[in-house]
Amino acid sequence: MTSHQVIVTEDLTKTYSANDVPVYALRGINLTITAGEFTAIVGPSGSGKTTFLNIISGLDQPTEGKVWLSEELLSNMSGRQLSDFRRDNIGFIFQAYNLIPVLTVGENIEYIMLLQGIPKLERHQRVVDILEVVGLAGYIDRKPPQLSGGQQQRVAIARAMVSQPTIILADEPTANLDSKTGSELLDMMYQLNKRTGMTFVFSTHDQTVMDRAQRLITLKDGLIDNDNVRE
Amino acid sequence: MWWILIKLAWRNLFRNTRRTFIAGTAIGIGLAALIFVDALWIGMEENMIRIATSSFLGDGQIHQEDFRQTQEVERTINQHHQVLSNLKQEEVVAHFTPRTFVFGMITSPAHVIAAALVGVDPVTEKYLSHVDEMITEGGYFEGDNERNIVIGSKMAEVLEVEIGDRVVATVSQAKTGDLAQEMFRISGVFHFHNHEMNRGMAFIRLEKSQQILGLKDDVHQIAIKFTDVKYGQDKLLPFWSKYSKYGNEAVSWTEILPELETIFEWTNVSKVLLGFVFFIIVVFGIINTLFMSLYERMFEFGVLRAIGTRPSRMAQLILFEAGSLGVLSIGIGIILGLITTYICSKTGIDYTGIEVAGVTIQELIYPVMVIDQFIFYPFWVLVFTTITGLYPAWYAARMSPAEAMRRVG
Repeated sequence: MTSHQVIVTEDLTKTYSANDVPVYALRGINLTITAGEFTAIVGPSGSGKTTFLNIISGLDQPTEGKVWLSEELLSNMSGRQLSDFRRDNIGFIFQAYNLIPVLTVGENIEYIMLLQGIPKLERHQRVVDILEVVGLAGYIDRKPPQLSGGQQQRVAIARAMVSQPTIILADEPTANLDSKTGSELLDMMYQLNKRTGMTFVFSTHDQTVMDRAQRLITLKDGLIDNDNVRE
Repeated sequence: MWWILIKLAWRNLFRNTRRTFIAGTAIGIGLAALIFVDALWIGMEENMIRIATSSFLGDGQIHQEDFRQTQEVERTINQHHQVLSNLKQEEVVAHFTPRTFVFGMITSPAHVIAAALVGVDPVTEKYLSHVDEMITEGGYFEGDNERNIVIGSKMAEVLEVEIGDRVVATVSQAKTGDLAQEMFRISGVFHFHNHEMNRGMAFIRLEKSQQILGLKDDVHQIAIKFTDVKYGQDKLLPFWSKYSKYGNEAVSWTEILPELETIFEWTNVSKVLLGFVFFIIVVFGIINTLFMSLYERMFEFGVLRAIGTRPSRMAQLILFEAGSLGVLSIGIGIILGLITTYICSKTGIDYTGIEVAGVTIQELIYPVMVIDQFIFYPFWVLVFTTITGLYPAWYAARMSPAEAMRRVG
C-alpha cells in the first residue's frame, strides 16, 4: 500500500444470518481508492453499497478480509481507537442529514472539533469559515428544524469537512433532496474535492452523482460488477 | 467536552416535553411524599413524646436501683438531699419534682379500687405534669388541707364519689410492712386522654404520703424536665451516668416507656420501606423514559458514534440525561413537598383521639420541616436516578454504530 492509496480492501466479505441461512452482502471485494478520488459506488438495493461503506469506515466488521484506511489496518483497532480514527480521518454525510436537532448549526459543526480537543477560538473560526464555504453564513445559531432539507445537508457537509478528514463517505447524500438542490450540493462537493484534495466516496442511486463521478464502481450481489475510471 | 454533553443531555430531555414532565412529576410526587411523611412523623413523634412526658412521666426520672422493678416502699432514693441539691445546679435541667409512689387500695362507702397513690409537691409538680390543667371538677390542691386527694375521673365513677366526699387509702408502710390507713377528702377530679391514669391514679400531698408511708422526708422518684426535650432521647447525655450512682439510677422516658421508643424505631423502618418502594418507582420510571428516548434516537446515536464519539462518551451522555431527569424531578418534588408540608405545618392534621402505644393523640399534628428533608432525600433521588441510568448508558456504549443505524435506516 502506498501513501497515495487511501482505501485498500482485500477479499472483503460480509455475511448476515437470516433464519440461520447465511446471506452474503459482500463476496470478496478487492478495491483500492487513491487520494483525491471522487468515486461513486452504485448498484441496486441490496447490492452491498451501504455495507461496503460501513465496513471501510470501521462502523461494521467484515466477516472476512481486511481494510486499510490511510495505511492503518482497521481490524487491529479497538472500539475506542476506531472512534478516534473515524473522528480524525473520516467525514460522514448521511441520507437523512442526521444533525442533532437540539444543537444549533454552529454546535453541530463544533461537536466533532470538541471531540478532537481543538481550542475554542479555533473551533469558532473554523465554524464561521466552513459555513461561509457551504453558503450558510449567518445560520450559525439556527436549529436544524428551522432549515430546509438542502440547508440541513449543507450543514451535514460542513460537519463532515470541518475536522479536515482524509476521506468523506457519503451514503445517498442527495436521496432526500429535489434534483436542483441535489445538483447544487453535488457541485459544491465537487468543487471542495478539487480545492482540498479530499477523497469523496458516495453510495448512490442518483444519476447526477453518477454523471459527476470520476470513478464509477458498480456492485451487484456483493461483487464488483464494473469499475469504470473516467478521464 | 463535558459542557456540550451536559447541554446535549438537558436539551434532549425536553425533546419530548410531555413524557419528561410525566416522568419527572411522578418521581417528584414520590419525593414530595417522602418529604411530607418525614415531616409528619417528626411532628407526630414530638407530639407523642410531649404527651407522654408532660402528662406525668417527665423527660427522665431518678429512682433507687430496682425500684422500677420491685416498687417496694422502702426503696427510696439514696442521698436524695444531695441529689436534689445537685439538680438545682444542672444546666440541662429546667425543672424537677420529688414524688413518693406506692400501690394501695382506695375505699369509698360504695366500692374499693386498687390505685397508684402518688405523693407530690403541688408547686413543683405543676412544671412537670399537666394534672393541674386536667382538673374537670374541684381544684388542684387549693388551700393547705393535708387530707386533700385528687383522683381520676374513672376512679371517681367507680367509687361513686364527688367533690367533698371522703375516701380511705390503705397502704403498706416502709420497713415494717404494716398497713396504714388514712382518710382523705376528694378535692379534685382530673381527666387525661389515658384510661389507665383516669382509673388507677390518685395524688396526695408529698408530706402526707411520707408520713403515712413512714418515709420521714425520703422520696421514691424525682421527675426531671430538661431544657430541651431532645435530651430525653440522648442516651449519651452525661446526666444519666452522673445521677446513676449512690445506688440510684437515672433513666430517660425511652426506658420507662420503651414501647413508645419501639414505635419510633418502627417508624424509621417504615420510612426506609417507603423510601425503598419509592426508589423502585424511580428505577422503572427512569429506565422506561431513557430507553424510550434511546430507541427513538437510535440513528442519532449511531451518527454520534460514527463521527467519533467514544463509547464512554455515549455512556456519559445517557448518565447526564438520567441526572438531568433527576434534577428536574427534584425541582418538582421540592416545590410540591415544600408547599404541601408548609400548608399542613400551619393548619395541622387532625389525628386526635387515636391511641398509639398507649399514648392518645390529643392535639393536631403539625408536620415539622427540617432542612435535612430537602437535602437528604433529593440527594438520594439524584444518586438513584444516576445509578439507574447506568444500564441504559451501558447499553448505549456497547451499541454498534452500524447496527444502530440499520435498526432505523
